[in-house]
Order: sequence, then structure tokens, then C-alpha cells
Amino acid sequence: MNYFSGIDVGAISTEAVIIDTGGEISGYSIVETGANSTEAADEAFDKALLAAGIRREAVEGIAATGYGRISVPLASKTVTEISCHALGAQYLFPDTGTVIDIGGQDSKVIRIGDSGKVLDFTMNDKCAAGTGRFLEVMASKLRVSLEEMGGLSLHAKAEVPISSVCTVFAESEVVSLVAKNHPREEIIKGLHRAITNRVWSMVNAIGVYGEVTMSGGVAKNRGVVTLMEEKLGKPIRVYVEPQIVGALGAALFARRQSRAVT
Amino acid sequence: MTGFHSPSHKEYLLKQREVYGRHIFGVFPAQYPRELLWAMNILPVEIWDPPLDTSHASAHLQSYICSIVRFGLEFIVQGKGDILDGFLFPHTCDSIQNLSSIVNDYLKPGKPCYFFYHPKCPYRESSHRFYIDQLRDLAAQLGDQVGELDYNQFKQCIEKGEKVASLMRELYSLRASGGLSASNVEFYRTIRQGEFLHPDDLIPRLEKFLENSRGSQASETSVIMSGVLPNPPEILALLDELKIRVGDDDLLACGRRYLVPPSQAKDPFEALAERYFHMPPCTTRNSPIRGRLEDLINKVEGSNAKGVIFWIVKFCEPELFDMPHLIEGLKKRGLPTLVIDVEPNQELTGQLTTRIEAFGEMIR
Amino acid sequence: MWLSKKIRYHFMKDLGVPGIMRFSRTGKKRRPRKKSTSLGPPLVCNSRLRELMATHYLLSRYAQGAIPVAWVTSGAPVEILRPFDFYTFYPENHGALCGAQKLGPELCAEAEVHGYHQDLCSYARIDLGHYFSGKTPVGRLPKPDLLFASNNICQTVVYWYKALAEYWKIPLILFDTPYNFGEISEVDISYMVRQLEEMIPVLEQISKRRFRYRRFQEIVGIAKEASLTWGEVLSTMKARPSPMTIFDAFNHLAPIVSLRGLPAALEHYRALLAELEERVAHGVGAVKDERWRLMWDNIAIWYKMRDFSNLFAGRGMNFVTATYTNAWSETIGYLDEAKPFESMAKAYSLVILNNNLNHRLQLMERLIQEFQVDGLVIHSARSCKPYSVGQYDLKRLVTERMEIPTVVIEADITDSRAYSEEQAMVRLEAFFEVLEG
Repeated sequence: MNYFSGIDVGAISTEAVIIDTGGEISGYSIVETGANSTEAADEAFDKALLAAGIRREAVEGIAATGYGRISVPLASKTVTEISCHALGAQYLFPDTGTVIDIGGQDSKVIRIGDSGKVLDFTMNDKCAAGTGRFLEVMASKLRVSLEEMGGLSLHAKAEVPISSVCTVFAESEVVSLVAKNHPREEIIKGLHRAITNRVWSMVNAIGVYGEVTMSGGVAKNRGVVTLMEEKLGKPIRVYVEPQIVGALGAALFARRQSRAVT
Repeated sequence: MTGFHSPSHKEYLLKQREVYGRHIFGVFPAQYPRELLWAMNILPVEIWDPPLDTSHASAHLQSYICSIVRFGLEFIVQGKGDILDGFLFPHTCDSIQNLSSIVNDYLKPGKPCYFFYHPKCPYRESSHRFYIDQLRDLAAQLGDQVGELDYNQFKQCIEKGEKVASLMRELYSLRASGGLSASNVEFYRTIRQGEFLHPDDLIPRLEKFLENSRGSQASETSVIMSGVLPNPPEILALLDELKIRVGDDDLLACGRRYLVPPSQAKDPFEALAERYFHMPPCTTRNSPIRGRLEDLINKVEGSNAKGVIFWIVKFCEPELFDMPHLIEGLKKRGLPTLVIDVEPNQELTGQLTTRIEAFGEMIR
Repeated sequence: MWLSKKIRYHFMKDLGVPGIMRFSRTGKKRRPRKKSTSLGPPLVCNSRLRELMATHYLLSRYAQGAIPVAWVTSGAPVEILRPFDFYTFYPENHGALCGAQKLGPELCAEAEVHGYHQDLCSYARIDLGHYFSGKTPVGRLPKPDLLFASNNICQTVVYWYKALAEYWKIPLILFDTPYNFGEISEVDISYMVRQLEEMIPVLEQISKRRFRYRRFQEIVGIAKEASLTWGEVLSTMKARPSPMTIFDAFNHLAPIVSLRGLPAALEHYRALLAELEERVAHGVGAVKDERWRLMWDNIAIWYKMRDFSNLFAGRGMNFVTATYTNAWSETIGYLDEAKPFESMAKAYSLVILNNNLNHRLQLMERLIQEFQVDGLVIHSARSCKPYSVGQYDLKRLVTERMEIPTVVIEADITDSRAYSEEQAMVRLEAFFEVLEG
């Protein structure tokens, strides 16, 4: 049995996914990228092998994606994360027409067609607002962990609107809201609203087609996902581990390339 | 391919002055009557993107002003224009308009500063008359500094301008049909020499380039570029690497100014006016959006392009106002578009490279 | 169909709207505003202004389909439209209104979602936002039959109106005013006069009315008179204490901008002038304890008008002059009913934003002297490049030459997302220290 692997080297985290020839996920891993992309890719790959219970030699083809994709000598092919998220999301949820990926450093909205082909995309990669970084900064100001934010916001009875679009301005706004004794959950819900609105304008620019899938670390935040569902007026699919969608897509590209050759 | 800061360019300009007695004028973007300046023994040197760190300009300009204006101001404040005999500011947009006044009224660079207002669309009979009057007025003003305009010289320069335009049209046409083997980088490096070379030097250069570059182009995928100027050139290099050919362009510094149809008028003033009013559609002349969309679509069809890349300079209002209409119009025809806004003279970020690569993956 | 709309419009104009206004005057209980301890009594003409503009907006709903409707830029030579009885609507005025009601971000976002970049002028984004969403605080805006623009104030209005022309598929007339890099020339004036002449057949065709030269001359006369009266209104602020704040003046700008050439504007300023002269005669100041007199540069920060009014008044500071309010009285002296085309070309070309920065510096110096100004606040408005580009040098030169403290506040006219209260206050506080110290 042959296997294929995809490695997604992001600025903050690196994911590796191993699939079999049928496309089933045999194992995956998530590690911190740190300062060295090549080492992070190696580490993630080895951990994924361990999780899959196979040896390196069993892997027939490896594709790399993400910010550090050119630093993965292991890989025989590189593909952008846009194409990988598209293919990955469509594989997991075949009726996906729109992918919303909110990562640590950037966010993107991708319209996909048959077989996960990218038809249109837009990215926000210049500004922290609208990315996981925004929530990270605010979590620290509110003294909560990122993981807690989703749950907390779902308990909020009301919502404190955040007027700033800029992360730096929003930070000082949050500080003054805390000083005015607004309940934390309500501020968090307001922050979730801010990030949702930011991403929503990208969604609107692309248009909503078919079903919507969210990927990336922020998709783990039920608060944000819920608000986005409200905006869309339809449920959003989120894989149990949304952070590996890009790496999965890369693995599928590796499998595709191998098939094309044979 | 950027300004004339580099030694080879400076040498060229000094030689122009020493050997031919030409006056060297710094000209800001974008539309101005080149042939008139040539006829008055002035060599225009365009100031688009000198590679300068704009820390001085920031003392004069807010953060929301575009890089081209910042570079231009920096150029003057740093005294890089010391070898020049004068400056010309065309009325391109609000920022260049006020830049001209900051320079002329506040900074006072110690060189004559001239201003050229060109009429904006919708054109009427009065626009034509005004343009001719403006040409005569500019000639009179320049005449005080460099000597009166010689009518015969003017006619000759109109012909030279026509020769340059005809070579440009041929280059563009060959490229669109896939018959030009030059890379994207080589193409733009060559035609951008039109920003400072005298036609006597530009014409043979273009002719040679044309001759050497005939041949079929390896890439199968082509795109149209729309925007202001092809900087940073690393984007062109990336497209070359991805085997994507720029099939045609709607760039202010290039296609919009160079692809002028031949003029019929005998009188040189009338000939220049004819050229001006028949230039390709452009936001700096307020051309109607419908015309711009049609022009883009013609370019797409003429070069078999698979998509359009909008290459925007940040804060460029004229371009940004037209874009939504253009993108929508192209989308309706099933054409994918990519918008990249990038600071000229800056290295490509990983994010930008990814976007362009992803677009390439999308259109193949 | 059209006839019934026309009848309805005239009914509303003559009876309906005035009736509604009367009714609302009697019935309305204005929410009692907290009385400011530092501001003087509010102007009686403030409520007159509200009614005047409310009438204008209310009536505009009935204009569509009844009489020809034109959307006009603030600097356009509207006098040439008036003989054709166009109902004129000013998107910039609507934008200011939206800004004041803090609707800027919401409407701008509607435009941004449709691809209009956040860096574009916020008046334009609000207007385009309205186009896409239909949202407006004034009920309903009349769809135009014509777009009428002049680029004397900026090129942006033309890019904006060009986009609107494409969305609505209606004609756009541009009054192209060459920039006065040096002095205005005969060539420029001829160009502009010819443009005005060329417009007439087009306007006749759109409005289905004939151009009446005598009527046009009358209108020029009324516009001139209203602008001169506005100028006198502004001059009353030379008094110590000044009878009005610049924030009130910004509001009272609306008639001269959007009702210029109509008798209503002239009547309003006559009433306002009378009230102000009365105040001056009795030494009634807009700010109770006027200790410092300031000048404002650039358009207002519409969503901070009340806050700033209280902030400055609380420190005994009043803005007694502004380049923005002055703009609608500065060049009106050129208007001449006997030579309407030529005089209009001059009056519209020589507005502050169409002149070089040297002219602006001299103007500001003159205002500082005439109004006895102690300090200058410069609003660096993200949306407004012709106003904002050059301000840093202007600040430096005014501070040097007039020896008064100056401060720059980075903000925007209507998009409050570009404004940081914390940053602005830090700068203002430093300015206050210098001024008071």
C-alpha cells in the first residue's frame, strides 16, 4: 500500500498529513514552525508517520504548501495554500462551493468548482484584523486563552460593539472597555463580530456558492463560526481538525501527480 | 529600468547636454506633449519610481499619499534633480496637482517649474481648442527659457514621435499574437527606456529589439496587466518563471501612452491634439468606464489572455474607482481577475508571490 | 403618469411639505439637550436651518419623475441648471449629514463590500453605499436624470460621478476647471466659457425646457447676493466675542452649497445675519468665556462636531474662522449678471482648492489677521487630497510666519474608523498647553 503526504508550512504552525491511495487520512501532526521551516517540515512529517504507523519509504509522493513551501526539500511538488485548501475542503465535504480559511496570519475566501478547482479567491494578508492574530492579541489583553474565547462568547447575554477596524486601535479600545467593567464575554462577542465582519466583506466580494466550509485555526472558535453562520443564513461545515485542511489538500495533489505520471 | 539615478543613465544625460546642447527636464507622470519638448531641444526624463527611501518626503506628505508622488518629492528634496534644467508637472491627479505646488511654491528647487493641464473627458469642441491653446502656451513659456519653437523642427519631431509609436504598436501586436520571444522582464525593460531616451537613440534600440525578438513565445498562458506601472519588476520575473506571458497591457506608464494610432493632420499642433484625443482610455483623462472595459476585453481577445491582473499602486484613486466596474464586467464574461497592490521598489513578499502563483494555478 | 407626479410635486411644494413642517413644529418635543455651561444660547436660526433643509430633503422625494433631477457637486456652477428648473441634490451634503449622524462606517462598508477600496473618499463611499443598499437617514433620495460635476474642488468627484453615470446609465456633464498653478489665464477662461455655452443645448434636451438668458442672469444675481450675505454672516465672527461658533457655521453652510441661486438661501442668510448683528450689538458670544480664537482648516470632522464644540468651548476657545466656510464667499465677488458666463468661469475657477498653495497660505494669513486668531487646528482629512496634501508645509509656514501654535489632527470627514480619539486628544492636549501657556 502506498501513501502520500502533504506538508503545510505556515508562519506559526506546520501541519503534515498522510493519506493512503484511497485518500483516507492515516495520520497527521501539528507542530510549531519556529525559526526553521525545513526542520519544522521534517518534524511534522516524522510525527505524522508515527501517527500513521508507517515508515518514510512507504510514502510515494510529498507535496508542500504554505508560506515556507519552498523550504521543504522532502517535497517533489509545491502548490499554493489556496489550491490546497480548495482541494482539501472539497474532499472532506464534497458539496463545498465556498471555503473560508482564517489562519493565524492571513485569511482567505475561495470559490471552488468541480473537483476542487479554484474559480476565484481573495486574501487578506496585509492586516492583522480579520486573522487569528487579532484574536490572539485581544485574548492576551483580556487574560483568557484563545481556546476559551469561543465558549465564553456563546454565554454572552449581550454584545459590546468594537468600532475600530485596526488591531492596534481595537486593542486600546478593549483596554478601556475592560476598565469600564463590561463583562468579558460581551467584549469577546464584540471582537468575534469584528473579525466576522471583516471576513464577511471578503466573502461578499467572492459570493457564496454551494455549501460553505471553514478551515484554519479560527474555525475551532465556535463563537466566530456561529456569527458567520448567522451572516450567511446557512450552516457551516468545519472538519474536526480544521487546521490540517491545507496539508490534506497538498497530500491529495501529491497523489494526483503520482497518478498522472503512472 | 527606473529613473536616471544610475551612473549609466546620468552619463547618458550629461552627454546629451554636452554633445547636443539639450536641456534636461524632469517630467512627472503622466501625459505630456513629448514631441513639443523634443522640438525645443529639451530631453524629457520621466520621474516615476527612483529607488529612494522616502523618509524626507514623509515630512511633507501624509501616509495616505501614493508612492509615486512620494518618490517624486523625495527626488527633489534630496537634490537628485540638480543636473536638471527644469521640471514639468502634467495635471494627472489631485496628488500630483498639489505636489506641483508644494515644489513650486514651498520648496522652490531653484529651477523653472512648468505645468501642463490637459482637458478631461467628456470631450467637446472646446476641449480640442483648449488643448491646442495649451500647447501654444507651453511652447511660449518654454521659449523664454530655451529659445523659440522652430516649426520645422516641430514637424520633424512629430514624425519621430510617429516612428516611435509605430514601433511600439508593432511590438505590442507581435507580443499579443505570441510572436515575440522576449521575456516579460526584457520587454518592459526595453520599452521603459522611452522614459528617458531621446528618439534618435530610442528608435534604433526599439528596432533592434524588434528584430532580435521575433520568434515564437514558449508560454501557453497569457494575462493582461492593468494599472499604473510595471514595478517591482520582480513580478514580471515571477510571471516569466511561471511561464505566464503578459499578452498586452493597460498600464499608464506603458500601453496607455504608447499605443497611439497614427495622426493624419499636417499641422504639428493639430497632429498632437489628434493623438491626445485618440489615446487609449485612461483614468487620468477621465475616460468613460464603458470604453475602458471594452478596451480591456479587446486586449484579452486579441492576445488570447486567460485573465486580467490589476496592478495597483496603493492609494491611487483614479484606478481604484474604476476597478469594481471593470472586475464585474470581466467576471460577467467569465474572465478571472487578480488585484495586487504593491509598493513600487519593494521586494515581493511571500504573500504576494503566493497570490500570483495561486492565480497562475487557477487560470491554467 | 408623469403629469400626476408633476401635480403631486407641486402640491407637496406649495402645500404639503410646508404643512408637514408646521405640524411638526407644533407637535415636536425636542429631546431636552443637556444645557452646556460653556456655550452661549443656541441660535434661533438653527431651527430655521433644520426646517429649511428638512423641507428640501422631504420635497426631493416627490421630485423624481415630476421635474428633472440633477445630482450636483458642491463646487459646480449650479446657476446654469436653475433656469431649467432642475431639482438639485448634493451627495456631498447628504454625505456630511450621514457623517454627522454617525452612519459613515455603515454606508462606507456597503460600498466596500462591492469592491470600493477603503482608501477612497468617504463621501463617495457613502454615496455608492447608498446606491447599493438604498440606506439613507432622509427617507428616500430622488434618482437623477443628470450628473453635474466640476473638478474645481477635486478630481475625485469626477471619478465618483463617472461610476454613478455608468450604474444609472445617465449623462454626466463636467465643468472642467484648469488648475491655477500660476495666475488664471485668458485661455482658461475662454475654455470654461465655451463649456458653459456648450452645456445649454444638452441641458435643454434633458430638461425639455428652453434656456432663458434673462432668468439665468437673475439667478446669478440671487446667487451673488446670497454669497455676499453669507460673507457678511462670516464677518460678524470678527467681533469679540464672536456671535457664532464655526461648528454652527459648518451647519449653516448647507443653503449656500445646496440651495445657491434659490431665494430660500438668500432669505435664510438675511435672517441669520440679522440675528448675529443683534448678538454683536449686545456682546452675546457663542462661547460664554471666549479667551482664545482659533482657525480651522479643511472640511469638518462631521461625527465630532458636538464633541469638539463642547471640548473647545469648555476651555474658552472658539473657532472664529475657517478656510472651508470662507470658500463660498471668497470668489463670489467675481459674479456679474451683466457678464454671467465669464464671471462664473472666474468665480468657480478661483476657489481655494483650485489655486496653488501660495494663494492658500496668503489667504490663511489674511484670515488670521482679520479675525485675530490665536491658534490653528488643521484637520488632515484622509478623504480629501486637494485639501490635505500640502498641509504639513502649511503648518510649518503658518507657525513660523504668524507665530501662532498649530496642531494637525489626522482624521476623516465621515469615516470614523480612520479616527483615533486617543491619538487626537494627545495632540490637542499638547496644543492647549502651548496656547494657554
